[in-house]
Amino acid sequence: MSRVFAVARREYLERVRSKAFLVSTILGPTLLAGLMILPILLTGQRGRPLRIAVLDESGALGPDVAQSLSRRQVAGQPRFLVEAAPAGPIAPTRADLQDKVVRGELDGYLFLSADALQRSAAEYYGRNVSNMMDLELMNKAVEEALVSRRLSGEGLDPERVRSLTRGVDLKRVRLTARGAREDRGASFILSLVLMTLLYTTLAVWGAAVMNSVIEEKTNRVVEVVVSSLSASRLFAGKLVGVGAAGLTQFTVWAVCLAAINAVGVASLGAMGRLPELSPFLLVAFVLFFLLGYFLYGSMYAAIGAAVNTAQEAQSLVFPVMMPLLASVVMYPMVLTAPDSTLSVALSLVPFFAPLLMFLRMIAVSPPVWQVALSMLLMLATIAGITWAAARIYRVGILMYGKRPTFPEIIRWVGRA
Amino acid sequence: MGPIITQLSESAIQLSGVTKAFAGHVAVSDLSLAIPRGSVFGLLGPNGAGKTTTLRMVMDILGADAGTIEILGRRADQSTRDRVGYMPEERGLYPRMVVEEQLAFFAALKGVPRAEALRRVGPWLERLGLADWRKRKLNELSKGMQQKVQFVATVLPDPEILILDEPLSGLDPVAAGAMRETLLDLSRQGKTLVLSSHQMETVERLCDSIALIDRGRLLLDGPVREVKARHGKNTVVLAFDGDGAFLAGLPGVQRVTDFGRYVEIRLAPGSDPQGILREAAARLRLSRFEIVEPSLHDIFVEAVTAHGVAAA
Repeated sequence: MSRVFAVARREYLERVRSKAFLVSTILGPTLLAGLMILPILLTGQRGRPLRIAVLDESGALGPDVAQSLSRRQVAGQPRFLVEAAPAGPIAPTRADLQDKVVRGELDGYLFLSADALQRSAAEYYGRNVSNMMDLELMNKAVEEALVSRRLSGEGLDPERVRSLTRGVDLKRVRLTARGAREDRGASFILSLVLMTLLYTTLAVWGAAVMNSVIEEKTNRVVEVVVSSLSASRLFAGKLVGVGAAGLTQFTVWAVCLAAINAVGVASLGAMGRLPELSPFLLVAFVLFFLLGYFLYGSMYAAIGAAVNTAQEAQSLVFPVMMPLLASVVMYPMVLTAPDSTLSVALSLVPFFAPLLMFLRMIAVSPPVWQVALSMLLMLATIAGITWAAARIYRVGILMYGKRPTFPEIIRWVGRA
Repeated sequence: MGPIITQLSESAIQLSGVTKAFAGHVAVSDLSLAIPRGSVFGLLGPNGAGKTTTLRMVMDILGADAGTIEILGRRADQSTRDRVGYMPEERGLYPRMVVEEQLAFFAALKGVPRAEALRRVGPWLERLGLADWRKRKLNELSKGMQQKVQFVATVLPDPEILILDEPLSGLDPVAAGAMRETLLDLSRQGKTLVLSSHQMETVERLCDSIALIDRGRLLLDGPVREVKARHGKNTVVLAFDGDGAFLAGLPGVQRVTDFGRYVEIRLAPGSDPQGILREAAARLRLSRFEIVEPSLHDIFVEAVTAHGVAAA
């Protein structure tokens, strides 16, 4: 056992001390923070309010529209600064306003024609007419003013009508065994982030084991090592050592993710609620990474033993990657119907489980027996796969020369 | 101690009827060998004779198809592996690892605690002139120095048996001399040394017992002195000026091997070296005439021919 530990220790230190590890471990959370917080901050950032003049040809709508515009707020700030248009004949005033807009003294002006109320129309002239969110806001403000005017014309109280015809605010609350919380689509973003993390780390650390095997073969150091301990022990030590390095990185990321999330929930509360990442989910996250790593990592290691160079490995890696890729493809389907029979079945398949069962855990709370069953099935598969991979490894590490075909490699399993 | 135990413990390594085939090609065929404890044993044969495959089976890197291998009286397992150090022909170390870390790692694989291994690193590096390189990464060292590190990695765990595949290849004459000294020193300490090589002359002087193998078969084995005595003093070494082409045609001459500055003449059994001397003295200007034991190279060639498996 101490020998397996020596191998694992060497592997672990070699990975953890490398620059690549340091960079990716630090860079990962930074990118993650950017990915999760920036969009929320950015949508809140819309620059200074727009300076707008209202030119009213009808002579009656102006003050109402101006007032309605002034009331509009974004992130607690008035969105429009409304200036009164200079009095006087319409045509010269329009030319004057146009000048001001072009010179940059105004962002735009709103023109209400004499028949604005009848036609239910208004015109906006601005330097920028592609800022959809502002224009939408303006549209609403003008509409409200016009509708209010029509209602009072019919003898109805606009305030009362508004309160009677209020729209519905559909609150989305996710119920779980551990309580309820409001969700405005952030669950989806979270699942996307976590899936991407799982997928990339599994692929990256699987490839790391493979390259480590190839390197030892290229250096010819492997023969020296297996003269001291059996190939299967070397295989075990290697898998554990590289896995421990992966786990270190993954844990750093998971903790950062939780921290970012906690900070995000606190500071961005009002703007875009982030779902809280429960400790339970985090533990499951790390657990599924580990299970996925041993499942895919041992297959990668077997490939590494069969080839001479990383280039040769490419074509063999593809079939191993397939289930991982397939889980990514099935992701939207499982997310839309996480409890459908198909989703449940797929999430129990060991090769899909690391991604899909975890995804279901984010989306709904699958019954405990399903989670337990998927883990048990994975463990059983890992036992079988590592057994076969260790045999391929034992034969492969001393083979140099022509790259074996896939069927040939499978045949190695049967060889003692 | 019973007689059987005594007999078992006399051999450091014992192979009985060992056979190994790869995809239809027989690498080692029914090989039986006894390597005496404390001996310097040469496993000799041309490239592809099955030396490396045999050593790999001894180290349990490969499993034998048939036959048994015993090390120090026991079937090969993890505990016997710890008592054997193996330096394969294809040297291999971790290029980006610091020398002392590297050595501690390989020692740990043999069950030597890290602290103890690090204590032993100093004297060994000192001895081989590598003391200044202890904290350097392997890829900063020259090829020759890397070879030495490889050797230290093999001897550091202090194994009772050392198996060295082509121990002198890649070394310059000075380093090779130092290596011979070190090997003899280890032998004096009571270690069993197994040296494998295809260059018979280089290990001939070191070994006290040898086995010659070819195409996976044992041709002959035993103490070097016995092997040579078995073949008798039937070789003449002749150094001369002039054209010696006629020598091969003389009666009683079996084969002439030209070494440039001298020739070795192998005589047919029962023929008289004096006849050769007379003929040669009459036609050449001789500077040396000596009756010697045959070289291992000669014995090997003869053995191959006798087995009727002439080299391709």
